[in-house]
Amino acid sequence: MKDVFILSIETSCDETSIAIVKNGSKVVALTILTQMDTHAEFGGVVPEIASRMHTENITMVLEETLKKANMKVSDCDAIAVTYAPGLLGSLLVGVEFAKVLSYVYKKPLIKVNHLIGHIYANKIDNNMHFPSLALIISGGHTELIKMNDDYDFEMLGETQDDAIGEAFDKVARVIGLKYPGGPNIEKLALEGNPTYKLPVPLSDDSYNFSYSGLKSGVLNLVNNEKMRGNEINKADLAASFQKNAVDELTRKLDLALSKTNIKNVIIAGGVSANKYLRKEINSICEKHGAKLDLPEFIYCTDNAAMIGAAAYPLYLKKNFASLDLNASSSANIC
Amino acid sequence: MNLFLDTHFNDIIVILFDENNKIVKKEIIQNKKQNSTYIMPTIEKVLEGKMPESVIVVNGPGSFTGVRLGVTIAKTFGWTLNIPVRVVSSLECLAVSINAKDKIVSFSDNNGYYVGYFDENNKIIKEYEYLNNSEYQNLLNTEKVYADIDIDYEKIISFAMGKNTINPHKVNPIYIKKIEVEK
Repeated sequence: MKDVFILSIETSCDETSIAIVKNGSKVVALTILTQMDTHAEFGGVVPEIASRMHTENITMVLEETLKKANMKVSDCDAIAVTYAPGLLGSLLVGVEFAKVLSYVYKKPLIKVNHLIGHIYANKIDNNMHFPSLALIISGGHTELIKMNDDYDFEMLGETQDDAIGEAFDKVARVIGLKYPGGPNIEKLALEGNPTYKLPVPLSDDSYNFSYSGLKSGVLNLVNNEKMRGNEINKADLAASFQKNAVDELTRKLDLALSKTNIKNVIIAGGVSANKYLRKEINSICEKHGAKLDLPEFIYCTDNAAMIGAAAYPLYLKKNFASLDLNASSSANIC
Repeated sequence: MNLFLDTHFNDIIVILFDENNKIVKKEIIQNKKQNSTYIMPTIEKVLEGKMPESVIVVNGPGSFTGVRLGVTIAKTFGWTLNIPVRVVSSLECLAVSINAKDKIVSFSDNNGYYVGYFDENNKIIKEYEYLNNSEYQNLLNTEKVYADIDIDYEKIISFAMGKNTINPHKVNPIYIKKIEVEK
């Protein structure tokens, strides 16, 4: 079969990224322009500024990607773009950009769900095995999904309040850590021990998650200690929070592996870059004799290569979008 | 054939014009604002599958998202087809459409007024402003301000074609209005 090259675009948050992916699994070229330093000044992503920076940079990111690949847009077979979920203004820049490419080069347009992109990051230089349990963990999502086949999803459980990444960021702010909070908590936790007693999130036997109680627990603890005039050991608090947050995931994954007897596990989303979490999830998988697929670090955070990987099955099915495609801030995968 | 694109406010305006700056085809989709669903299909309808030889885009000020989408589309056409891109501001569009000596032109969004100051040759003589209601009333007390202007697209196109072209990478919106974090 002829090789399929997909030019893919990701602008759902604060990274302007374009990639060329071959047959849904080989990255020919990938450019990720992160705006993190700009948003760090404001303590978090400012949506309007994110959108502005996408427009400023997007043609240059394309130029750089093509140069790296030594290819032209006309050498590609399709244009794929993240259309949802994410920051609406940011998504729209990528979507309009993709439509012009599709029009000018007469290439089919493929719309990709950002979360499905995170799952398919596991397909890069790798293969996915079905059925599998996919744990999507990011700043906006905490979901446990059963995948029966390519693009065949079944929701088992999801967060009832905050997403895990959101909880990391909020707790980071309470402890006084800079943006991005998640990686900074992970770093600080290495210097501490989980000595603080914090609420256990949701210890029922559903597959759902909850993080607001844990987050409030940290806030209350900090306030109480302050009132008593006690100094907080920030490293110990970071380690305690991280442990409880990750325990919530491993407990539900443990339950799902026992009940479903599925032997493949996929981790996806920005929080999957957390090394402590990777280690804990790995030991649960080992306990059940399940195979764990983890994307390489570079494909864990937002990037266009995963969008190209997720677009490939849609390309084969000729599941194409038209020029009236709109972006959406929210979208479910099942 | 050349493309003129204006998505800076309530309407989507897509015009095809010839080498004499004469309008060949015009589509106006009213009250769809920045609606992504309509912009590219309207451009496709006007271009009929052909490629433009140059692009003019109204790069603001106006609706942040609307302006951004028009600019993103224009710079992408410019870069991919290696064709000239020119920008014209929404306030220049108003100024060019009227004949007067010194012209103060304005249009309002829900919260305030964009104001531009031009001489009779449509040269900008003072930086664009975004005024709140009382500031705008003060301006009206001392100056003649043109609002509700009938837009003359052929005049705007001739004016814009007389401007320098911009490297597509450098084509960017004019926002003017401050956002929360800038205040």
